[in-house]
Amino acid sequence: MTDATSTGARPAIGLIRSSLLRADATVLLRSGRTLLLNIAVPILYLVITNLHLGHKGRGFTYGSTGFTIGLALTVGLMSSSLMGYATTITHDRDAGVFQRLRVTPAPTWAIMASRLLVQIAADLIMTVVVVIVGGIIHRTTFGAGDYLLLVCVSIAGGAMFLAIAQAVVGLVRSAAVVDAIGRMFYIVFLLTGLLGSSGILGSTAQEVAGWSPVGAVTNLYSGVLDLAQWSWTDSYGLIAVIGYTVIGAVVGIRWFRWDSR
Amino acid sequence: MSSTTGIDGAAARVLEVDGLIVRYGTRTAVDGVTFQVRRGEVFGLLGPNGAGKTSTLSAVEGLLKPQGGRVVVDGIDVERNPTAARARLGVQLQASSFQSELTIEEIVRLYAGLYGQRVTKQDIADRIRDVGLGDELGKRFKSLSGGQQQRLSLLIAVIHQPVLLLLDEPTSGLDPQSRRQLWDRIETLRADGGSIVLTTHSMEEAQAVCDRVAIIDHGALLVVDTPAGLIARHRDDPRVLTVARGAVTLEDVFIGLTGSDIRD
Repeated sequence: MTDATSTGARPAIGLIRSSLLRADATVLLRSGRTLLLNIAVPILYLVITNLHLGHKGRGFTYGSTGFTIGLALTVGLMSSSLMGYATTITHDRDAGVFQRLRVTPAPTWAIMASRLLVQIAADLIMTVVVVIVGGIIHRTTFGAGDYLLLVCVSIAGGAMFLAIAQAVVGLVRSAAVVDAIGRMFYIVFLLTGLLGSSGILGSTAQEVAGWSPVGAVTNLYSGVLDLAQWSWTDSYGLIAVIGYTVIGAVVGIRWFRWDSR
Repeated sequence: MSSTTGIDGAAARVLEVDGLIVRYGTRTAVDGVTFQVRRGEVFGLLGPNGAGKTSTLSAVEGLLKPQGGRVVVDGIDVERNPTAARARLGVQLQASSFQSELTIEEIVRLYAGLYGQRVTKQDIADRIRDVGLGDELGKRFKSLSGGQQQRLSLLIAVIHQPVLLLLDEPTSGLDPQSRRQLWDRIETLRADGGSIVLTTHSMEEAQAVCDRVAIIDHGALLVVDTPAGLIARHRDDPRVLTVARGAVTLEDVFIGLTGSDIRD
């Protein structure tokens, strides 16, 4: 064994980072709930919508392949962040996992960054899997450029939902309340994005939905899959995603407590 | 306050706590506590519930920012350089846990890495076997008994051979066998030159393993001395004699100085 710190020297940040990433990735892979929320829920959504919509080609209007896959990806990002990530963070906070990590020489930013990076990586894997499955179900093929753009949107969308989840765990200490808020946000965001974007509730609601977290990310997915049709709605989506991310991150970092007491 | 709080020679001190003040809102949990710990010493912090023991340790660990005073670990100011100070500390928290999805082997690998130790699979297996958990390598932390969890926690606390080990109520909830095993490990660590600060409610434990003890109450340090010294100094104290049942014990001194009221 190498005694890098037997004399109290500061350990190398690279080793700290890799140790945290390895552990957090292992935890995520072993967490059935997280995997279910990350992969199974969006695929289930794709299957269900296909039963109703069937194949309609790449028109990217409501109910089209682009919108459906975009919404499925958004649902995946939202599920894993608002219910998976937030729940895990509050559970670990209650159990004292964070306090144990904080008394090591690992910087606190490295502890949290590792969790976020692993979650983003899971979001990217989910993106590729869902797009492949969505392509098969809707008999559509996507090029390398499409995948690259979708991955970029997933990074932005994943960061936004993680920032919102971070804000929730920053403002609320109780694990039960965080769980309840996560579910409530999930339903509200989904309904706002889904019903609002459909136009059923009128054009104003449709416009508002475009600024909602789900609507903004779904529009971005649809937009990058048809760049020729990129519109102001898609640009607003990008602005909204950046805005939610910044606000969520500021609140989530400023008010986050490592201890539940 | 006792005159035995001080130690001559900075090199002899592995921990210096000077005028420490910790407040939670308007409540003062630690009120100007000062003490030092020598190299190779086992130092006990005794006090009723809510006396300020854990808050004092939390300030030493850098888990909370004190409102006043100074904490120096092995010559390093904890507030100015918390990372370097933590690299010198081994910590077993009162209520800590590890990620429930990780096996014992993975937990040891994680914490070895966090303390800058590059370990092989064999290194980890050897370490775990040394604390009698060789058959539990693939198990999760939650599936271990209380004594096994405590042994793993201690293994992780000393994995980087810290200059100072902090144990917050390490034998709380343990059966007598596990408690004795821990005392033996503390003795071994001390024999190897390690310094230890522990908090405990057990006067038996304080007498068995501590070179010196400090009694803390309502955030203030009341006395610091050896267990035998404390008994000798207070055997004629009326507060102690009132609660003593026969020959004066450390527990009598403790209750005499901190009162008989139950603390929650």
